[in-house]
Amino acid sequence: MSSPPQLLRLWFLQVRYAATRELAFRANFFIWVIVELAWFVLQLAFVGVVYQHVDSIAGWSRPQMIVLVATNQLIQQIFTAFFMPGLVKLPELVREGKLDFVLLKPTPPQFLISTSHLEIGPLANALIAAVVVATALHDLHITPSLPSFLLYLLLLLAGLLTHYALLLTLVSLTFWIIQAESVLLGYYSIFQVARLPREAAKGWFRVLFTFALPLLLVANIPANTLLRGWQPGSLVLFLLTSLSATLVASLFFQLGLRRYQSASS
Amino acid sequence: MIDSLPALPTVFSIGLQRQFAYRWNYLLRALFSAMPLLVSWVFWGAVFQDKKTVGPYTLGSLLTYYAVLLVVESVSSPADDDFQISREIREGSLNSILLRPLPYGLYRGALFLAGRCAYLVAALIPVALCFVLLSRVVPLELGSLDLGRGLPALLGSALLQFSLTLCLSLTSFWLLDISALIFLVYSLEFLAGGHVFPLDLLPPSLFQISQFLPFAYEYWFPAASLCGTLSHSAWLIGLARQFSWALFFLLLAKTLWQAGLKKYTAAGG
Repeated sequence: MSSPPQLLRLWFLQVRYAATRELAFRANFFIWVIVELAWFVLQLAFVGVVYQHVDSIAGWSRPQMIVLVATNQLIQQIFTAFFMPGLVKLPELVREGKLDFVLLKPTPPQFLISTSHLEIGPLANALIAAVVVATALHDLHITPSLPSFLLYLLLLLAGLLTHYALLLTLVSLTFWIIQAESVLLGYYSIFQVARLPREAAKGWFRVLFTFALPLLLVANIPANTLLRGWQPGSLVLFLLTSLSATLVASLFFQLGLRRYQSASS
Repeated sequence: MIDSLPALPTVFSIGLQRQFAYRWNYLLRALFSAMPLLVSWVFWGAVFQDKKTVGPYTLGSLLTYYAVLLVVESVSSPADDDFQISREIREGSLNSILLRPLPYGLYRGALFLAGRCAYLVAALIPVALCFVLLSRVVPLELGSLDLGRGLPALLGSALLQFSLTLCLSLTSFWLLDISALIFLVYSLEFLAGGHVFPLDLLPPSLFQISQFLPFAYEYWFPAASLCGTLSHSAWLIGLARQFSWALFFLLLAKTLWQAGLKKYTAAGG
């Protein structure tokens, strides 16, 4: 079972099962919405405090910076809902030998691992982030055109791919390192770069996080498309780098998979 | 309690061995911990592009604050002690620890100390590298570091963070999953503790409020003490508040432990 329509059908089934499982624990759902919201408020508070002392940072005004931070939050929350819960379970699957059960199934293991779990809570927070983006645009008196909006959605997908590529690479380290729980800390640490305005980065930092790991593009390009219209060069660059990062991450996962030796008896 | 003190070095040694069994995990963790400093450098570099000072800070003094914060975090922040304690209670492995003639708080304290020592060793290289790299591009104000005031504040921070962690983990006697509670407190620690920005960048009224909460004494106070930006009286008042909060949480942990044990049941060997 590996043709794209079949995989899509399987994914929908998994989403439905995971959603049912999640909603069985409603109190847990609401608690996690509050926890994630607290982290978003923290980021907005940071923006608020810094802009008390300055009017502009690297050419970004306060509401523009809010569009950037909220766009980053939007992408991260969608990723957290659909792909992160499955990916972060890989170290445990490898350490305890439970990956055997995944490998026995007639479906690509990368697909099964990436989509096996779902969290509904982050979707509520993604919605809140979208409202914050809309409010900031309203403050700036900007009404995006339909093509800009559709392009924004496409760029959010490219952002999701970049998140996916980085986390897949990090969790795949588990094939070499027995206890790789620190990778989640690594993911959160590295993705702080995505909240930076691209113009603030200079030299090797800008080159590294634009071409090798396109984190400076993840939220900047979609936010810029809403705020300043689309720029073909940046857009093509972002789509190409996010696709190639995903490809490299998949190859790295396959390489790791070859090293896997079952831990079960 | 005094009878159990000779056992503590053994617990400490076991803790160290446990930590170093997963060296790569530690090294990765330490390596990633330097990332926020790099991001701060880029972000604040842009903020200071047209300004010499922001609040009471120059770019050099602000980045020194963030660099010192890395050291504070290495020395005083628990790694996964909270989840370990929670697991011991939830899965019943607490039984074997209860049978030992060693108070649980002291046992966890020795393991916490071992974890911090192991992490400090692993973090030393990336943190030192960060200091060297940053000082090449920005004049870090390391000459003004005040170890005399900083070290007691660092000790207080470790004690406060350990006691707060103990309190949070012991709620596992009543709650099935404490991870949401822990992450909620993390977010408060990050914001009100001065982890995201130094608290003296807050508007004065909010800064005053932050001084009455325990979080300021986890990160901001020890970092500011080490950076030497506090007056002697502010440092003395801060230290008194820090140790008072630590004592408060230690007493609370003792109460929670005693109440929790009355409720605790575990079956099996």
